[in-house]
Amino acid sequence: MASPDNLVLENITLCAGQTRVLNQVSLTVPLEGITLLSGRNGAGKSTVLRACLDLVRPEKGQILIDGLPPGMACERIGYMPQGLSDAALMIPAISHVMAAMDGARWGVPVRFGQRKREAERLLALTGALSFSKRPLGHLSGGERQRVCLAQALAGQPGLLLLDEPLAALDHDAQQQIVALLVSLTQTLGVSILMTSHETAALEGKVTRVLALENGELHVRI
Amino acid sequence: MFEFEFMRHAFLGCTLVSVLAGTVGWFLSLRRQAFAAHALSHIGFSGAAGAVWLGVSPLFGMIAFSLLAGLAIGSEGEGRGKIPPQRDSTIGLVLAASLGLGTWFLHEANGASSMATTLLFGDVLGIDTPTLFILAGVTALCLLGLVFLGRPLLFSSLTPEVARARGVPVRLTSLGFMAVAALACSACAEVSGALLAFSLMIGPAATALRLGLCPAMGLLVSVLLALVLSWGGLMLSWITDIPIPFWIGLGAGIFYGLANLWTRLRTN
Repeated sequence: MASPDNLVLENITLCAGQTRVLNQVSLTVPLEGITLLSGRNGAGKSTVLRACLDLVRPEKGQILIDGLPPGMACERIGYMPQGLSDAALMIPAISHVMAAMDGARWGVPVRFGQRKREAERLLALTGALSFSKRPLGHLSGGERQRVCLAQALAGQPGLLLLDEPLAALDHDAQQQIVALLVSLTQTLGVSILMTSHETAALEGKVTRVLALENGELHVRI
Repeated sequence: MFEFEFMRHAFLGCTLVSVLAGTVGWFLSLRRQAFAAHALSHIGFSGAAGAVWLGVSPLFGMIAFSLLAGLAIGSEGEGRGKIPPQRDSTIGLVLAASLGLGTWFLHEANGASSMATTLLFGDVLGIDTPTLFILAGVTALCLLGLVFLGRPLLFSSLTPEVARARGVPVRLTSLGFMAVAALACSACAEVSGALLAFSLMIGPAATALRLGLCPAMGLLVSVLLALVLSWGGLMLSWITDIPIPFWIGLGAGIFYGLANLWTRLRTN
């Protein structure tokens, strides 16, 4: 799927508990390559990402992704939440990817062979094919991130929203994941909007930076 | 032993219940809701006690109470963002309220001690033809429910936050599944009693999950193990005159222990 053109925030006021994350922000951000959403701890970066997925609703204003509200654009977006999931660690990695491929449709899975081949293709893209049959709980942090990325890519999204994909990884693993993200933008043409505190690992790799501070959002090229 | 009608009925009942327990139990274990399986069968006991008091079939009371409790538990959903669901607290509170009601129902139903024993420990050898039909209906209904919920249920069980982001109605799926689980627990309680109904649901499923199998294979192994447990329990009960729930509980523990050992040996 082609990557979305842009992310539009129209007079958005967004809150996380008592904190006002965005205060009447209007902004149009072209989505191409890797866009880094930066900000201090507790600034509300994850909340902004979740608002882009319709997981939290803004108090005022609207968000448009490629001209569509988040609830209607969800099929075009792949999501990787913050932190490693501790759910279903005993299920093989490939099953996590297969479940995401048509998980929003009712009924039992069909075309098992075709879905398996597609899952293997995605796992190969993220460098996770060699451990795809191992239970998720037997994988290292970096390996699990690769599986989660493959899961986010299920359904051929044009935009990936990645919440702290470099957290809790050592320097080498961070470099490998960043190289993988750059490669995905080039080979698949997907856009990435991600949060990260590991700015050093991303130096020279991001197209633009969105700085979230005191309820305001600024674009820095 | 098959020359007796009650034994044929018992084997048929065990077969139906095992298919149900193996599939529903696998999802319950995957979603870390073993406590729900335990609680729902006890809650069903309260409903059955109420039905005895009202003079209707205990199985209907069990199904009605479990269903209501399942919907109450399912309404907890999957949590929001970084806030996990408070499932255990919800289940505990619903269980406590139901057992309180069950105690009152038993008190009101005079001479209920023998009935209470039957409800608590099951009476697989007392399954009559109408009960078999009800069990078959409940099994068919639950399996249809699982087929319908299939993909969203699996997706939201594995990664609820990602599923919600993809537009899966996670709360509705959770409610639907708990309704199915409530019906299944009522059916299992008919065979192994309210006290040990969850052993047939959780034992085989936990063993299958411990083996690290993919969902399709895990469900199959879970059903097969449930069949081995219930049929084996019935045969051993016939031979030894020890109640079937004992054999099911013991077998479930042994299966899980063996799976644990095998997994450790394979990993090392």
